[in-house]
Amino acid sequence: MNRIKRGNILLFIVLTFFVQAFAQNKSDTIVSLDEIVVEGNSRRAILMKSPQNVVSVGQAFLKQNFAGSLMQSLEKIPGVQAMSIGSGQSKPAIRGLGFNRMLVAENGVKHEGQQWGDDHGLEIDRFALDNVEIIKGAGTLHYGSDAISGVINLKSSYIPQKNFEGEINLFGRTNNESTGLSARMGGRRNGFWYRANLTLTDYADYKVPADSIQYYSYYIKLKNRRLRNTAGKEHNGGLHLGYLSDKFLTTLYLSDVYTKSGFFADAHGLEVRLSEINYDRSRRDIDLPRHTVNHFKVMNHTSYRIDNLTVEGDFAFQNNFRQEFSEPVSHGYMPTPPNALERQYNKNTFTANLCAKFLLAEKHHIHAGFNGEHQNNRRGGWGFIIPDFRTTALGAFVFDKWEISENLIVSGGVRFDYILTEIDEYRDWYETYKIRSEKLKRNFNSITYALGVNYDLNNWNFKTNFGKSFRAPIPKELGSDGVNYHIFRYEKGNTGLQPEESYQLDAGVNWHNEKLDIQLEPFVNFFPNYIYLNPTSGYYEGLQMYYYTQTHVFRWGFEFNVNYKIISQLELNMSGDYLYARQLSGDKQGYTLPFSPPASATFGVKYSPQTKWAGKDGYVSMDFRAVAPQNEIVPPENATAGYGLLNAAAGCTFSIGARHALPLRITLQANNLLNRRYYDHTSFYRLIDVPEAGRNFSIMLGFNF
Amino acid sequence: MIVAWIKKDKLRCVVSYVLLIKNFMIKKILIFNILVFALFSCENNGERDMQKPVIEIISPQSCVELQRGESFTFRAQFSDNVELGSYNIEIHHNFDHHSHSTDNVECELDEKKTPVKAWADNWNYTIPKGQKTFEANNEIPIPADIDAGDYHFMVRLTDKSGWQQLAAVSVKIILSDIHF
Repeated sequence: MNRIKRGNILLFIVLTFFVQAFAQNKSDTIVSLDEIVVEGNSRRAILMKSPQNVVSVGQAFLKQNFAGSLMQSLEKIPGVQAMSIGSGQSKPAIRGLGFNRMLVAENGVKHEGQQWGDDHGLEIDRFALDNVEIIKGAGTLHYGSDAISGVINLKSSYIPQKNFEGEINLFGRTNNESTGLSARMGGRRNGFWYRANLTLTDYADYKVPADSIQYYSYYIKLKNRRLRNTAGKEHNGGLHLGYLSDKFLTTLYLSDVYTKSGFFADAHGLEVRLSEINYDRSRRDIDLPRHTVNHFKVMNHTSYRIDNLTVEGDFAFQNNFRQEFSEPVSHGYMPTPPNALERQYNKNTFTANLCAKFLLAEKHHIHAGFNGEHQNNRRGGWGFIIPDFRTTALGAFVFDKWEISENLIVSGGVRFDYILTEIDEYRDWYETYKIRSEKLKRNFNSITYALGVNYDLNNWNFKTNFGKSFRAPIPKELGSDGVNYHIFRYEKGNTGLQPEESYQLDAGVNWHNEKLDIQLEPFVNFFPNYIYLNPTSGYYEGLQMYYYTQTHVFRWGFEFNVNYKIISQLELNMSGDYLYARQLSGDKQGYTLPFSPPASATFGVKYSPQTKWAGKDGYVSMDFRAVAPQNEIVPPENATAGYGLLNAAAGCTFSIGARHALPLRITLQANNLLNRRYYDHTSFYRLIDVPEAGRNFSIMLGFNF
Repeated sequence: MIVAWIKKDKLRCVVSYVLLIKNFMIKKILIFNILVFALFSCENNGERDMQKPVIEIISPQSCVELQRGESFTFRAQFSDNVELGSYNIEIHHNFDHHSHSTDNVECELDEKKTPVKAWADNWNYTIPKGQKTFEANNEIPIPADIDAGDYHFMVRLTDKSGWQQLAAVSVKIILSDIHF
């Protein structure tokens, strides 16, 4: 009851702020742009672009919010969560749904790593991106399976404007003693252009505000408050080659992202480990357990325009190669393995997308397309979680955006998908020789649709979108039948699972004038067959039995963002999100879903003096992030206490050199200024009671030429 | 269609949400406020079990020496706020000095060694339905042909809702056939 009351009080405060803000704003000054929306378009045009709630941020946002990983930067956006794996990697989630319930695309092509894994981060070079677009709500219509809670579309489509141009960024963070370099260069001559980028990062074990970690009453003492063996490094490179004429555009993208990082040495998964390895010898070395991930991509995007018809094609090949190493230890019936290679996944994905866009009867923007994808995933190592598999997915859609009038747009579409999954048999490599995964061939069909309305009226803008989305069950859910030692559980797949379907109604309400911008994004979501890994009270082969099942799930929530420009130099911002999830059937009826993010609100103030010394883009900002406790948990989770974090940032651009030819940009950030010891409910290390990183200062220096 | 799936008290939530959407359109912020309150009060915190079961191991005690070829008694007191589920006891070697210890006692370990025939076994037990407390009492025979040395004795207990509790004891298995 207390929690509900507190929620109500918080809401009341929020709404009171709304009402007061309405009352106060009458005067007119310069046009205010929401800090998060940085596309060079008017507010209205952005809002009318899609019936869905879309947030778009550019490089400036990523630099100002520079963090250990891309997702940790994007976490500032209400409704977006980073599920952190140590200090340098994280998994994305939108409104609490991550893994295979959201989709990451790079330049429109689905990014295929090992999204299902708890400790597999997103393999992306954030310095190569120009723009990140986040679509909240059903995204299946354009993207196919998985885009249930939304889509994060990473774009790097900038075409160099000069013969030669470039940028160098140097950065460092104090908490994990991270250092890095990122360089970009490019050039354009006639219709041809190229772009190249390189990013190198190296970080040490990160620091937490704790001397020891208490987990199952086991005390893990930390040396110098550092989490042993959480160091890592990242080496990324990319090359774009392109040609542009007035009707034709083609770009070839090549990229490789390599990450090597350690896992906390004293526990692997939930299991406490003692080791002979002298982890305290160095805080920069990467010992066991660790993983290396290499993601290679080659993509081509081509578009051709004839009158009002545009034909586009995307063709891509991706290879994701991940190896996880840990000290070989016998477990149950498994003898001591011969080497440290615990898991290996090698996944090749081929993608082909074709689409046409044209204008029909002057008011109908038609977008029709076809997507095809083939994946081949092969495993290795002595630890089994998922079998080898191949999937082929084919989809076709048609979408109509009907501009009834300047103020009213109705859009809708329908899509058909076919997915074929073939799973290979897997047997234990030791004595028991038990079949852990049966040979299986399944196909899934799905029809999805969406219907949306955009309506603009003076200072108001309304949008609503109803969409059905789906995802095909993944091989882990269908085929697993074995022990996951890291989480101390026996996982039993279900070969009869049906495609997971989701019905979601989204709304967006915006009120804006020159000083104030208020955005509210509520949603309601229902799953008739959410695929859930249910912990039972039984034991099998010595570990708690979990099995995959499908349940009815109801969710609702909202995000809000209020931006108030008191004067042109001083801006106040308040944003937040709330999420409610309930399982309505099955064994865990009445419980929430795993990894439900707690409600949060951020209050920020930003001062941009616009004086001579601070330059045009100089700013100082401070924000306070309040996160509610999360007591809505489901076995085996732990409740997480609420917390408050104070962060600050500043930045400006100097001109140095002869005739001030070289602009030097400095961005400073301070996170967790009060060095608060807190736990992030959605972090990978939450289950073993490891607190989040302590106070951190970061600096980035950038030169553009 | 959605409503059909949603049971009794959930209906109220959905109806109020539909009203909420309607009210956005007519810009009644205050009504929106009231309806959000109504939605919050949809929460039904009633019967969900949010507590893990509890394990209290009586024997064997940490660092105890057990004789190979003989039996020992596992005794523990289990309790839960709603209903106990089942339990599992497991034994595996600690010749490599890894650790699962859940108590602060550190036992004196033998030198590290490579297992020849290490004892690895586990037993599942059910607890009669409807029990909030249960005293486990199991006789565990130690095979006569296994490697002597340091072992971990793990106890895992669930409740009906699927919450799990772990406990571990370090024991030393010694040769029984030493004669002076």
